[in-house]
Amino acid sequence: MKYMIMMFGGLGATMESRTPEWITGMHELMLKLDTELKEAGEVVAGHGLVDPSQAKTVRFKGGVPVSTDGPFAEVKESLAGYWIVEVSEERAIEIASQVVAYTEYPMEVRQVMKG
Amino acid sequence: MTAGHRIEDLLRELAPQVLGTLVRRHGQFDACEDAVQEALLAAALQWPAEGVPDRPRSWLLRVAGRSLVDEWRSESARRRREETAALDPAGRESAADPLNADFLGAGHRPADADDTLVLLFLGCHPALSPPSQLALTLRAVGGLTTTEIAAAFLVPEATMAQRISRAKQRIRSAGARFELPPEPERATRLGVVLHVLYLVFNEGYTTSSGPALHRADLTAEAIRLARLLHRLLPGEGEVAGLLALMLLTDARRAARTDAAGSIVPLAEQRRELWDSAAIAEGLALVTRTLGTVPLGPYQLQAAIAAVHDEAPTAEETDWPQILALYEVLAQVAPGPVVTLSRAVALAMVHGPKAGLALLGTLDTDDRMAHTHRLDAVRAHLLERAGDTVAARESYLRAARMTASVPEQRYLALRAARLHHPAPGDSRGGNRRPPA
Repeated sequence: MKYMIMMFGGLGATMESRTPEWITGMHELMLKLDTELKEAGEVVAGHGLVDPSQAKTVRFKGGVPVSTDGPFAEVKESLAGYWIVEVSEERAIEIASQVVAYTEYPMEVRQVMKG
Repeated sequence: MTAGHRIEDLLRELAPQVLGTLVRRHGQFDACEDAVQEALLAAALQWPAEGVPDRPRSWLLRVAGRSLVDEWRSESARRRREETAALDPAGRESAADPLNADFLGAGHRPADADDTLVLLFLGCHPALSPPSQLALTLRAVGGLTTTEIAAAFLVPEATMAQRISRAKQRIRSAGARFELPPEPERATRLGVVLHVLYLVFNEGYTTSSGPALHRADLTAEAIRLARLLHRLLPGEGEVAGLLALMLLTDARRAARTDAAGSIVPLAEQRRELWDSAAIAEGLALVTRTLGTVPLGPYQLQAAIAAVHDEAPTAEETDWPQILALYEVLAQVAPGPVVTLSRAVALAMVHGPKAGLALLGTLDTDDRMAHTHRLDAVRAHLLERAGDTVAARESYLRAARMTASVPEQRYLALRAARLHHPAPGDSRGGNRRPPA
């Protein structure tokens, strides 16, 4: 079964308190996980998204689609990146847990539909 | 070098020559390409076991030719007669009979080197979009399979296959022939070829380290093709310049990223990790071509890279010379990216405020509106000027704009360091007095 593991947030307020050591640690963790998932053949896809501040949102306004600058959700709840992994739900949760243990920030795990 | 590598390299070198010979005789690029692929596959399977044949190119031509004939025989008679016109070397229209035994077992032809050049030029036909030019060039002359090209550009294989197939159709319907472009267009087309090779190199060079190992193939491929072009056109200064630029830039690759996959800027790189052989080759090329006049943008950029690579340490970099070269480059090929780089050199020679002033001229330039690079360079200069608050804001702005993961990580880290300087951090002492 395939699951999407989602990470949220942007480079904003959360950055204020982070030390360089924390950031370096975060990069190392992500690199380690990327490599592990690839070598185990678990990852189907993995992408980071550009900061939410660069997003454009298309809404239906006044009877037409209108594009405005900015993300759909608040920056802190905007999608930052994802993995799609082909694993059991337990393993998907375990992967997410490794990141959450470090960031202390929520991640979402959701099954990818077939067809 | 293992026997396996030797065969691989040999096949890579011969493939475009064999393809060129077949296409020159028969047109039908697609069919010839398939036939060459069959022959390469057969060689890859048989040669390791039976040894490389005495005349490997003839062997490949024979097998590819047979494959072509088989293909034609299995098609309708109408398809067999339909062929795009291909001029023979004597300049007459020749309706080559596909069943003519002549082309089987052809020996070495002096025109083969030119065939590769024709393929390179064809791949950069003006009827094609730049992504199509890249894809077709890599496919026709490069040593990459469609699968590898797709992986390198991060598109699905079917998409890349379609792109290449449509590109071939487009140049066919644009009336392209298997020959060099007419004399008046040749210089422009060469410019396009160089640009395509530069894009391929850049694509491979600026991507992340770590698991994306296939990206290194792109830089290697770009260098190989540039070397080939230099061998075919030894008198062209810009070709030598591009090759030198690639070598001198790629030489630093091992030092560019650290264990965590973060970018290490030039000033902080461990220079013992630089490839001294590549640097030597690049320096020699630059020295040789500096005599040619007028100097083109690739030669100038190569000369700048040479000054960097010659310096044993960052502190010993001859910044005044780099600044002088950028000032020439700004005349020869002006543009916002040159201004950005010139601002850095200016800051190193005359202090950060001078660099920042030059950057200010880019604030109203639309071309800089959607790139992170202006804010990134500004952040560096503000940091050097000691304005840590503004520098941090600039780093974060740049970090939010960039679409490159390693770049974003690097910029976020620099911002964080300004907020949390390590105890006893001498980074504030980076404010070197102007040279």
